Amino acid sequence: MKSSEQQNQSAPWRMVSRREFLKAGGAGAAVLSTAQNASASERSKPKRLAMVIDLQRCTGCGGCVVSCKSENNVQRGVAWAGREIRTTGKFPNVRFEFIPTLCNQCENAPCVKGCPTGAMHKGYGDITMHTPKKCIGCGTCIAMCPYDVISRNDEDPHRHWRTGDALIKGCTSSPEEVTGRVKGNVVPYYNDAKEESAPGFGMRYKGIVEKCTLCDHRVKKGLLPHCVLSCPSRARVMGDLNDPDSAASKLLAKYRPWRPKEHLGTEPKVFYVRSFNAGASEYTRGSV
Amino acid sequence: MKEREDRITRQSFMKTAAVAAAATALGSALKPALRAFAQTERTAQREGDGEWKSTTCQGCTSWCSVQVYVVDGRAVKVRGNPNSKVNRGNCCARCHLSLQQVYDPDRIKTPMKRTNPRKGRNEDPRFVPISWDEALDTIADKIMDLRQNNETYKYMLMRGRYSYMRDVLYDRMTKIIGSPNNISHSAICAEAEKFGPYYTEGLWDYRQYDVSNTRYIILWGADPLSANRQVSHYLSVWGDVIDRAEVAVVDPRLSASAAKARQWLPIMPGQDGALAVGIAHIILAEGLWYKDFVGDFKDGANKFVPGQQVSEEDFEERHTHGLVKWWNLELKDKTPEWTATKTGLPVEQIRKVAIGFGRAAPHAICWVGGGPAMQVRGGYTAMAAHALNGLVGSVDNIGGTLKANKEYTLQFPAPDAFLDEIAKAGKAHKKIDQRGTKAFPALKEGKPGSAVVTNNAADGVLNEDPNEIKVAMCYMNNFTFSCPQTDRWERALSKIPFIVHLTTHASEFTHFCDIVLPSVHHMYEKWGYVKAIGNAHRHVTLLEPVIEPIWDVKIDETEIPWLIAEKLAERGFDNLLRHYQEYIDPETGKRPTNEREFALYSLKYATHHLWDPAEYKGGDKFTGWEHFRKTGVWNSDPYPYRKRWSNMATKTKKFEFYSETLRAALIAHAEKHGTTVDDILETCKYQARGERAFIPHHEEPYLWGDEKEYPLIHVDYKSRLNREGRSANCPWYQELKDLDPGDVPWDDVAKLNPIDAKKLGIGDGDRIRLISKTGQIECHAKLWEGTRPGTVAKCYGQGHWAYGRVAAKEFGKVPRGGNNNVIIPADYDRLSGSTAFYGITRVKVVKA
Repeated sequence: MKSSEQQNQSAPWRMVSRREFLKAGGAGAAVLSTAQNASASERSKPKRLAMVIDLQRCTGCGGCVVSCKSENNVQRGVAWAGREIRTTGKFPNVRFEFIPTLCNQCENAPCVKGCPTGAMHKGYGDITMHTPKKCIGCGTCIAMCPYDVISRNDEDPHRHWRTGDALIKGCTSSPEEVTGRVKGNVVPYYNDAKEESAPGFGMRYKGIVEKCTLCDHRVKKGLLPHCVLSCPSRARVMGDLNDPDSAASKLLAKYRPWRPKEHLGTEPKVFYVRSFNAGASEYTRGSV
Repeated sequence: MKEREDRITRQSFMKTAAVAAAATALGSALKPALRAFAQTERTAQREGDGEWKSTTCQGCTSWCSVQVYVVDGRAVKVRGNPNSKVNRGNCCARCHLSLQQVYDPDRIKTPMKRTNPRKGRNEDPRFVPISWDEALDTIADKIMDLRQNNETYKYMLMRGRYSYMRDVLYDRMTKIIGSPNNISHSAICAEAEKFGPYYTEGLWDYRQYDVSNTRYIILWGADPLSANRQVSHYLSVWGDVIDRAEVAVVDPRLSASAAKARQWLPIMPGQDGALAVGIAHIILAEGLWYKDFVGDFKDGANKFVPGQQVSEEDFEERHTHGLVKWWNLELKDKTPEWTATKTGLPVEQIRKVAIGFGRAAPHAICWVGGGPAMQVRGGYTAMAAHALNGLVGSVDNIGGTLKANKEYTLQFPAPDAFLDEIAKAGKAHKKIDQRGTKAFPALKEGKPGSAVVTNNAADGVLNEDPNEIKVAMCYMNNFTFSCPQTDRWERALSKIPFIVHLTTHASEFTHFCDIVLPSVHHMYEKWGYVKAIGNAHRHVTLLEPVIEPIWDVKIDETEIPWLIAEKLAERGFDNLLRHYQEYIDPETGKRPTNEREFALYSLKYATHHLWDPAEYKGGDKFTGWEHFRKTGVWNSDPYPYRKRWSNMATKTKKFEFYSETLRAALIAHAEKHGTTVDDILETCKYQARGERAFIPHHEEPYLWGDEKEYPLIHVDYKSRLNREGRSANCPWYQELKDLDPGDVPWDDVAKLNPIDAKKLGIGDGDRIRLISKTGQIECHAKLWEGTRPGTVAKCYGQGHWAYGRVAAKEFGKVPRGGNNNVIIPADYDRLSGSTAFYGITRVKVVKA
């Protein structure tokens, strides 16, 4: 934890605490303010934010995947909130499984260790953060990450929105025309909230990498990540692992959790409990 | 079970007591305001400079009350409206897709007209932009021509999805012009599903399911975690439901709900009725029926012995009618072994589900979806499966199947005084869908010829039977894509000389139209309201213009008919305009003077009793229109359980296992055509004769195609991202297509069991062709263990050839994948008028 704290301190653009943000009273001011204003008590009790995904509640509806794209302006072909889908078994004994995935917010994050510029680093709540300005797009983080949750922009994002062609001449419009009319930003439904995270982070750009930052722009304001609020099945639970009374800690105390590729020692802070394929099993002693 | 019931009762009592106390203390006028305040407190989280604005998502028939986050007039994101007691702040993935619909560059931005006089699939319509004035003048001239020639019955209105503002355009305008031909889409939805509850408990409607209080759920071709109704509510509680209840899913393919169920019953397509009567047989033979509802043998000894007749004298029924007749006529021989042979399911599994379901009585739900019902003989299957709810006493009961709660919206003013002689004469003609003819009983609510036969309207037009159609107005529909045997619609539309389409996108339907009017997106740009049920509540939720439209689009159901009414008045026919002027704003007493006022006043008129405290009837209370508008939704009072026992809208007022109600309806239809009920049944392709026609019973599936030539049975189902077939142009739809179990992003796949694939020499990813008796489509093969051997499962939704740059591979020409409706033959469950989608199509699969 110490090292990530130090990284946080050294980051030139600074993450700000919720209290500070409220004090500063706005996004613009927030970006400029510094972490030195944070109270001593807040610094002595850093949060370790975790997400617990209750697979019994998960219905595989994809609300997390699409709402993340909406909140974070994630371009076509990229998913910060993803999924692993498996069908196993032989008819009629078949299992279909849906496992929602995201950046695992590892405590020992290989992407952070591997990043040569400090662009990938630890931030508020031990979130694995990314600073676009520092990113040189070398892709070391992608190579280091065992979970395949980081993508690189080989071109400026949302290229499909950067065209001026109309399907029926004079009768329908073009992507650029729509965005221009509503004063969006490349995409018409652009969400500028992400800019609060770091300048240039609202849309990202060619030559850098991107990934889920656990909606740090919301979390720092005391708001839950958008995927958590948008999950109609209430499968996602956020909480501070340093607080034994947090909802996440309680769930982890009740059920034995698992994390992907635990043997690697990355210590993910995304946990899974219970089973997607719930329900009692058939009683049988089997046979030999 | 008793214990659980007590707990619920106590809970609801406490709630009622608390509310009553609050009301007494504060005065009832304060109550809803407090409630609204509490909800805002719970959910208010400051996001930034935008505002959450309430509206309604019609991406499926859940009709969730939702909110849009608007920044500087721009929609940025969406969420469920926390003020609804039905969807309670939840929305599903479909709702998010709406952002890519409303800002779709392929939306039509101006009225347009066709310049290519030839119509056909391969004819480019060559649309050019025109002014609203020119478009409306042309339409008014065409309508006036019909009126001058006393041919108003040659006018036709086709409706797809709607809000409850529908009657302005669908009913009032059609009547006042003078045509009987307002054709809704209802029969391609799931009307056959309603046939079950109507002819057992007198309810022609979709049900809500009290899943939070139930112990057993059998889903019959329903996939509530994907589609059907109140999806977001069921998504939100399902994780808890499966802790308490056993879920069994009857579906030939592994659905999203089946993936999370304890029992998957991959039934032979079309044999749901066999399973239903088989389960009923076991419940009776095992003595598991719910005696408080059904009654018992007078001496208490169970005489339902397999194979043996029972004397009606020996049984005393309570809230039901005809149980012993049902046993004697249908159930006594439907042993588990018989059921296993028909359904292809193991005897053990059938027994296990039947006994588990019976033991859970009365908190046990048979959830009949479109799957088993929308088949050629599906009305009886819907009856058979729904009748199980009667056996276990879950109808209208806690943890059971419920009807809609009471609501207090108003009908629009009656049109009668505005119908002149031309209109009256025109309206007296027969309808173009041939409902009520001998082959189409269409017995909605017991009345012959009262249900729409949507898909047959194409044949009515093609055969000019009962007459030709000269002018058609159509909105929010795409029948050339959504109705089986699509080529008939392509030919029918090519035949109609003048068609107007009110639509957001140029679609496969628009391709055949003459004038196209750009319509608002319902969720972002429209005034309207809809009613929906779930969570033992009903809500009335408002569609509101939460953003200013980018283009010059108008509201399909209100503004456009008003503008046409003005044009008609200019031409000397002012009846429609004078009628619309009757829609007075209840708040100000003002008459509408333009289309914008009309759109708003008509909505305030219809919802008057919900928001005006002086007219308060029940449910949530508001201080006035503005309060209602901001909240976005009105909630009913909680559900009054068991109020309908022995007070049902059937002939006997009981739950009918022997349907006196259906008997009367069938006799009425037979008499109308001077024949017997047996003759009607034969004409309409049913197998039952005599008394069996009046009971829930098994019929063999009616499949198109010879088994030798077409060895596989096609299993059709709906995508969980479909937004009723309108979202395929959203890139998110394509990217997330694998949310439908077995499917592949940016692709359209037919799922074959590896056993069948091996026989056919087809590998994963191969380009294949699905050929039926009526058509063929191309797509990719997916080898998938979730498909029952002998079937080929393919999701409905892809295969658009003219719905935008993403949905079609090449707009106007090449589809992305294949549309299931190309290969499904046009056939019907004729008793309900419904179109068959399932258990109807045999196909052969070959490499393309």
